[in-house]
Amino acid sequence: MEQKLIDHLFRHHYGKMVSVLTRIFGLAHLETIEDAVQDTFIKATLTWKNNPPESPEAWLTKAAKNRVIDIFRKLNAERKRIPRITASHEAMNMNDLFLKNEIEDSQLRMIFTACHPLLSQADRIAFSLKTISGFSSKEIASALLAKEETIKKRLSRARKTIKTKNILFAIPVDKELYERITSVHEVLYLIFNEGFHSNRTDILIRKELCGEAMRLCQMILKNELTRSENGYALFALMCFHAARLDSKINSKGEIIDLKNQDRSKWHFPLMYLGNEAMNKATASNQFSYYHYEAAIAAEHLRAPSFKDTQWNKILLWYKNLYQIQPSAITALHMAIVQIQLKNFEAASQLLIDTQPVDLGQRAYLYYGVQGEFYKEKGEHEKATSCLDLALSVVQNEAEKNYLLRKKATFQKRKVEQN
Amino acid sequence: MKEFMMIFIGADYAALGLSPEELQGRMGKWFAWSEKMEKAGILRSGNALHSDMRRIIGKERTVTDMASAEVKEIVGGYYIIEAKDFDEVEEVAQDFPDYDLGGTVEIREIMVFDK
Repeated sequence: MEQKLIDHLFRHHYGKMVSVLTRIFGLAHLETIEDAVQDTFIKATLTWKNNPPESPEAWLTKAAKNRVIDIFRKLNAERKRIPRITASHEAMNMNDLFLKNEIEDSQLRMIFTACHPLLSQADRIAFSLKTISGFSSKEIASALLAKEETIKKRLSRARKTIKTKNILFAIPVDKELYERITSVHEVLYLIFNEGFHSNRTDILIRKELCGEAMRLCQMILKNELTRSENGYALFALMCFHAARLDSKINSKGEIIDLKNQDRSKWHFPLMYLGNEAMNKATASNQFSYYHYEAAIAAEHLRAPSFKDTQWNKILLWYKNLYQIQPSAITALHMAIVQIQLKNFEAASQLLIDTQPVDLGQRAYLYYGVQGEFYKEKGEHEKATSCLDLALSVVQNEAEKNYLLRKKATFQKRKVEQN
Repeated sequence: MKEFMMIFIGADYAALGLSPEELQGRMGKWFAWSEKMEKAGILRSGNALHSDMRRIIGKERTVTDMASAEVKEIVGGYYIIEAKDFDEVEEVAQDFPDYDLGGTVEIREIMVFDK
């Protein structure tokens, strides 16, 4: 029999089943639940080697239902408090909880749990990737460029907080709902950025992170309780960025900047999806950070070539963005735009107002922009020494190579001028 | 034609703590392999084994229950295929998916008794 599994079937199914079982047994038993679901996949692989199922999804769901009884027994044996499902106000036939709608509802509850304000931001990200997205701690560590031990610590801290603070497995209401959705957006935005702005050349891991963030964002938008204009703007922004993901790295693993990207490689269906989301996001003219960032990304996509970019429009969006959320990185981006517009005084002022130290590990970006500034002004000596400064603080190998190549072009141009 | 058994040793998925994504990746490779053998018409039978084991040993018939973690080289399963000789089976065994996890394939010919 021909057998092919849907991409990420196991990973996504893990998230679904952990959420459904948590709805049945409660967050207090999360570890037992996760172990049981993991065990299901081991059993599946053993059984399927010789007897591939007709429908892998149905097989896995049935296995998860069987797990319910196993977990009851296990908890009984450990004499832990066992929830009485039938007695709860949410009395529901257990089978109903495995219906598509209810699975989605359980997954949303898990997303909102993961983004609870009592968890730290780092813990929220790790917990989301593990519990909702089915990443192992090793995979999370590799995706976030962190140590596996660190991730394990974050996960156990998150579980502990959820247990000790009695966090409810529910979608909050009213004002709390609004605040929590904002936190969910933030977490999804950060997960996406880990993939999109990451300096790692392993494009596969980056795509997985971006893809996960987009999948979860779609879940939020699908439910009318949790959808919002900001959510649509966030989704639009993800689509616009993701459309360019493939062209950011060449086959040699080298970083390609916006100027040199092959625009014919930009993914049209994603741009289309982003535009649709953007239309829904702008119904009431209340614009968030995500709106402006999406608008900037869209403006770049709209330009048929780098020199046709509407820098004036982009500058306007950046100014709006800066008003809502002033940050060093936004100021730096504005400086880049001013350089493109040849507004050297404005660019210079922005570079004076911003300090490399405000950018933390990305301080090299500051020197890179400063280098660009002097190059455009024709001051090549200064430009090269800025790049040397950038090279002295850059940590990532791919970024370093990018700067080295850039430096070579600076020097070439200097020779040509002489 | 003779029959051979390919015995799979080591690479216990449960003990290795593979993630759902990694398990799915393994699964795809196993599917592809068994499909290839089926298409070639050489696959006779096969089974996967649970990792729990009870061992009885010696004159005293000492009984030990063991979990996979305590057994270094655990047999995880087998396939029986039809082939001309060891070389042909060796060729088939190239597609065994778990060499990178430290897995081993042992090839043994099935003995046929005169009737």
